Amino acid sequence: MNLLFALLLVFSNPSDKIKIIDPWMRVGAQGQSTGLFFKIQNNSDKADTLYKVEFEPAGLVQIHETYDAGNDMMGMREIKEIVIPAKSTFELKPGSYHVMLMKLKQNIKKGFVGNATLYFKKAGKILIKVEAKEMMNKQMMEYKH
Amino acid sequence: MNRAKNIFKILTLIFIFDFLSGCYQHFPLDQDLTRTQNTFLNQDSVQVQFPKIIKDKITLFAMVYTHCPDICPMTTYNMYLIQNNLPDDLKDKVEFVVVSFDPERDTPSVLKKFAEIRDLSFDHWVFLSGDKQNTKEVMLKFDIKAIATDSSYDKNGELSYNMIHTDRISLIDQKGRLRSNYKGSTANINEIIKDIKYLEN
Repeated sequence: MNLLFALLLVFSNPSDKIKIIDPWMRVGAQGQSTGLFFKIQNNSDKADTLYKVEFEPAGLVQIHETYDAGNDMMGMREIKEIVIPAKSTFELKPGSYHVMLMKLKQNIKKGFVGNATLYFKKAGKILIKVEAKEMMNKQMMEYKH
Repeated sequence: MNRAKNIFKILTLIFIFDFLSGCYQHFPLDQDLTRTQNTFLNQDSVQVQFPKIIKDKITLFAMVYTHCPDICPMTTYNMYLIQNNLPDDLKDKVEFVVVSFDPERDTPSVLKKFAEIRDLSFDHWVFLSGDKQNTKEVMLKFDIKAIATDSSYDKNGELSYNMIHTDRISLIDQKGRLRSNYKGSTANINEIIKDIKYLEN
């Protein structure tokens, strides 16, 4: 299974123009929602656009943006796509851009590993493995200092 | 004459010091929450009165909705981090109360699943779901706002919506008085722990 996944990775992204770094998702209970986060490194000379994400254990997947609505209020809205300029890295992270995984078909517990498919206008389909955590270790460390 | 001047100076300094120390308050906020009680169901569908359930305890309080994939889990996680980083002698003295401002979707069983997937122990955590009136009253007490947005129906006819909402963790003292509010999703863990220690002393 792992070999098959590795082969898919190689064939789905042979140019390595788009590299997905540190993918992770937050835990979530069946029927509820959670977030998927990662960095997109665009190594090419042209901008590329993330326009769709698929994740099998979710009934509905959308690209979202969390925003400050003023007066200590926060909001969230769907966005159609994320443009990653040439030779740059874009980060989907808590409190900012994220992939919203809704109507989870199963419990996503800490340590769960799932496969997500990212669709880019130029790079095409990229498959990634995503592990469930409550928060990234780095962020936990930041909070402790 | 000089002696009289010195005595006057000393008395002036004492007065200024006394005045300034009287002005300083560690918690400028002091709002009694116990004047009215609100009825909720906890995560086991047991009816409880809030804030009666936190009597004599220091409490961290937040309002969330479980369909939120980002801000509300961050707030909940910050409360979990605070619990884990409390000194041992304080671990049994602090309660964590989470109330849903989306009670129609967040039934007790939904809240229980939200807590369990995050390994939150109900020894010190309670998740509350109420009717519209009780939820509204608690939101008013804590000055928390939540507005549904992006409403739509999916292909199964199920209503879906997001919420713009106040992002906050509140600190309540042992006498049921609201003492401080903090940003929830980006809370400064150390600052809140310091304030909890201050209340305990």
